[in-house]
Amino acid sequence: MKRSKFLVPIAMTLAFAGLAVCGSKAQQSSKPANNAIALTGLPGVKDNAKGTLTVESGKLHFSYGKKSSEVNTASIEDVVTGEDTQAAVGKTVSNLSMAAPYGSGRFLALFRTKFDTLTLRYRDENGALHGVIFALPTAGAEPIKKELLAQGAHTTAVEAATNSSSKEPKQ
Amino acid sequence: MKFYSSAILWSAVVAVAFAASPLSAQPVKAKASAIQVEMIVSDEIKLPAEFQISLYENLIRQLEKQGGFEHVYRDGDRRAKDAADLVVLHSTVRGFKAGSERTRRVTTVAGATSVAIHCEFKSADGKVLLEQDVNGKVRFFGGNLRATYDFAKKTARVAHDNFSSSQHKS
Repeated sequence: MKRSKFLVPIAMTLAFAGLAVCGSKAQQSSKPANNAIALTGLPGVKDNAKGTLTVESGKLHFSYGKKSSEVNTASIEDVVTGEDTQAAVGKTVSNLSMAAPYGSGRFLALFRTKFDTLTLRYRDENGALHGVIFALPTAGAEPIKKELLAQGAHTTAVEAATNSSSKEPKQ
Repeated sequence: MKFYSSAILWSAVVAVAFAASPLSAQPVKAKASAIQVEMIVSDEIKLPAEFQISLYENLIRQLEKQGGFEHVYRDGDRRAKDAADLVVLHSTVRGFKAGSERTRRVTTVAGATSVAIHCEFKSADGKVLLEQDVNGKVRFFGGNLRATYDFAKKTARVAHDNFSSSQHKS
């Protein structure tokens, strides 16, 4: 009887620990590979539309619901990723947190995770300049940028980084 | 009794004068049926890329909504060359303060984001028609990019108040 008194709490602790581990693994595996938000600027797409961003056969595709929008990679003049994008994504997050009850939005704002941004400039067939901003999960913008550059897009960020590194004194 | 009647008369005169003054101060709108929006320039002040794009896109959107122009052309749009009474909008960032949405949410008084932009409305041949500094701010609630929306709305209002597709007194 005494032994069972000790065994029950231990078994419960182990069971809870097991559940916690399984839960965290399940969260990792269920995380989508490319969960993008078109914040603004994509023609025919509403602001803050959630979808998937892919680069295929010389085009950047944004699929949301049953619709999709695409931009020719060759027409992209500039691709920039943002590391500290918490401020930029605030618009969307604040909209989401506003819906939370009893002012919990303010509380949630303190603990929200950081996002990465992908900012594009491209010209359409008339030469008109367009700007698009995507929000992506942390570190999600860099692979897309590399893919875009490989398929004919241009960037000013590389030039800027090269210039700044060449100016740094040698150690 | 005489005192009261004269006081009422004077207050009526003052009220009429105040009501009439805005009408006489309204400017004549310059004729412009189309506007071309140049990309926001921020050479002196480092502006995040997403801010620059958001300023540009919001500006175009607001000018389309409430600018009162028949056509709003983007930077580099070749069709603008054929447009009659074209006005070109040049915007240069003069100041930028990156606030904090988190601070705003917690304190509700601190953490304001603001952007100051010098706007020049020029004719197609480069003559300056109107110059004005416009500020975009987000003080209490909302993300930092909301400052770009505030700027765009104010600039569209300036354009609406000073230009019209048909020349008339508003």
